[in-house]
Amino acid sequence: MSATATGIFHDSYASELRLCHTRAEKRRLVLTLALLSALPWALDGYWLGVVNGIGIAAIGAVGLNLLCGFSGQISLGHAGFMAVGAFTSALLSTRLGLPAPLGIGAAVLLSAALGALVGLPALRVEGVYLAIATLASQQIIEFIVCRWSWLTQGRGFLDVPRLGFLGDHVSRLTFERSWYWLILGVATLALLGARNLLRSALGRSLMAVRDHDVAAATIGIDVARAKLTAFALSSGYAGLAGALCAQYSEIVSWERFTLDVSVQYLGMIIVGGLGSLAGSVYGAVFIGLLPPLLSELATLASSGGSSWTAQLPALQLGAFGAAIVLFLLFEPRGLARLWQRALDYFGSWPFRY
Amino acid sequence: MTHHRTLHLPIALSALAALLCACTPQRNEHDIVIGVLADLTGPTADVGRPYHEGMLAAIDDLNAHGGIRRRHIQALSEDYGYKVPTAEEKYKKYVQASVVAVQGWGTGDSEALRRKVAGDELPFMSASYAEVLTDPEQSPYNFVVAATYSDQMRIALDQIAAADPQAQVAVFHHDSPFGNAPIADGKQWIASRGYQLGYQEYAMKAGATDYVASLQRAQQQGARYLIVQNVASPAATLARDIAAQKLGMKIVCLNWCSDELFVQLAGPAAEGTWMVQPFAPPSVPQPGHEPLKQYCAAKGIDFESAGVHFVQGWYTLQVMAGGLAKLLADGRELSGKNLRGALETMGPVDTGGVIGPIRFSAASHRGATAAGVYVVEHGKLVERARALTPRS
Repeated sequence: MSATATGIFHDSYASELRLCHTRAEKRRLVLTLALLSALPWALDGYWLGVVNGIGIAAIGAVGLNLLCGFSGQISLGHAGFMAVGAFTSALLSTRLGLPAPLGIGAAVLLSAALGALVGLPALRVEGVYLAIATLASQQIIEFIVCRWSWLTQGRGFLDVPRLGFLGDHVSRLTFERSWYWLILGVATLALLGARNLLRSALGRSLMAVRDHDVAAATIGIDVARAKLTAFALSSGYAGLAGALCAQYSEIVSWERFTLDVSVQYLGMIIVGGLGSLAGSVYGAVFIGLLPPLLSELATLASSGGSSWTAQLPALQLGAFGAAIVLFLLFEPRGLARLWQRALDYFGSWPFRY
Repeated sequence: MTHHRTLHLPIALSALAALLCACTPQRNEHDIVIGVLADLTGPTADVGRPYHEGMLAAIDDLNAHGGIRRRHIQALSEDYGYKVPTAEEKYKKYVQASVVAVQGWGTGDSEALRRKVAGDELPFMSASYAEVLTDPEQSPYNFVVAATYSDQMRIALDQIAAADPQAQVAVFHHDSPFGNAPIADGKQWIASRGYQLGYQEYAMKAGATDYVASLQRAQQQGARYLIVQNVASPAATLARDIAAQKLGMKIVCLNWCSDELFVQLAGPAAEGTWMVQPFAPPSVPQPGHEPLKQYCAAKGIDFESAGVHFVQGWYTLQVMAGGLAKLLADGRELSGKNLRGALETMGPVDTGGVIGPIRFSAASHRGATAAGVYVVEHGKLVERARALTPRS
């Protein structure tokens, strides 16, 4: 066993700005990339579909974590902004015939603008009151996309044409795989963007506001601007996730963006780890895998004769609740912290520390 | 930094992969595999369960009689709890299992999967009779076996206009794509037929314990007739509320509350309710009920209490089986695309009077336009008119 480094020391600005600081981090990054590239060949279409769902959720969770974990604001309206993104991207590509990437870009901008607007109450209220204000935004957006018949021309849903890759029609055999690469690429960019943002002055100001807004104001941070930026950023990420979701599932309807989904995203960042980008991804993986794995387990258990599948929805809800409660009790900093602790444990093994 | 710490992730992932491989079901290569999406636990489970049982019963019966040209049907069936994303997830599983067709359930999931089944070339039938699913231009792989919700609405409006030309009509509907499906078409029908009927819609919030507030608004509208586009349990709550408030409104149920469950749950409040129902219920015997009766007798099921939705599930599957039989008789390869062709060219399916002959063509996937009208008398569904179509 090699000696454990006692700390990370930088002798240049360039070294401080590197994405990976230690050799182990680099090795893990390479390994993760290798695993991610192998995934489409290791999994069948169904499981790849689950992974694609997780990828989209991870983008949304990163957005929510920027707001809740890094800026100390709370939002129960995340799914509402996803709806804005989904409907905007679908409308732009079907009615105006805009290419999908442009439609998605516009969806991100519009959701971000709307997010900043909804963030206005955050200048005056915080905590539970802010939660209620964002809850109201969720309900209002849900109401509008559900009832405004112009959006869907009275049909209740919007069709999105299947995305072609380089002019090719994607068949069902390659559909999930093509989307996997697309989502992986976008999610990686989104993560890198967030990571870089957090190292910038803006990112630091968000965290300063989270830790103590009065202190932040006294050192010259514009608290109002920081809070609104946090809301805009978070909603922009939500809009991106929503737009991807629309293009991927080829249909947009309000049913996919209800309050339950907002709560699920909060669950993701709590389980994954508030204030950790990697945690957002872990949380998305955890919450995304929970229902299909439970359903497989229930099917396995039911083949013995008992009927677990009938109780499945209750089981899934129960497991979701139990996961959140257990994490809050035993590891409030989530899976990201658990992973860090595991690394530390093995790093100094056989010594305690 | 150590070497072995990097090993945990791959070990965990390979363990997971091994677990997933172990979960993949085994099946006989000779079987015809179809996917079934059912609501057994969600908000429409009260009618979803008998429909699903009817479907599985029909498969069981077909297999017991040697299958379709000696090939058995294997149904992969999963509950999706009326949640669209779950339906999409299960659907992917079926695609992976190489199904040749899918039997869905609700309007939300049928509409959401419409483009997917078109892209994947898998014929899709469901218990949703939304208008959009009948048009091969918009929904090339969806097939609708019964009169659409819009046609049922038109028939209901025809009946009301004949009984009371000046009546105010309130439409109470499930707050979902299913509930909204016939609303706009009903309004257009009144205008195009020149009826003098008043028409207003009221959304029924899921899980509500009473509808008194909405009923008050309907009373202010002066509503004499309530058309209900919802499943049996909330419709029964509505009927009880009307009886308790002595509002004297007549309920006209469309398809999904026109059943024995509504009568049972609403009790005396159900008396006099009109029901627009494309499928003949067990209480109005038809020759087409015989195979179901025999099956139920053999399995110890009470056919009367199995109800009209059991019949509905049974015959929806029979229609798909008809397409499969034609496909195999023609000696063509078993694929979704060929099955679609077979369904379009197989000619009318005779259901022995349970529902008018069902016929599809390349130009229309509207299987039927007629529905029966029943009235509840002494806790039973009694036929009022047979095989009505919207007045042209």
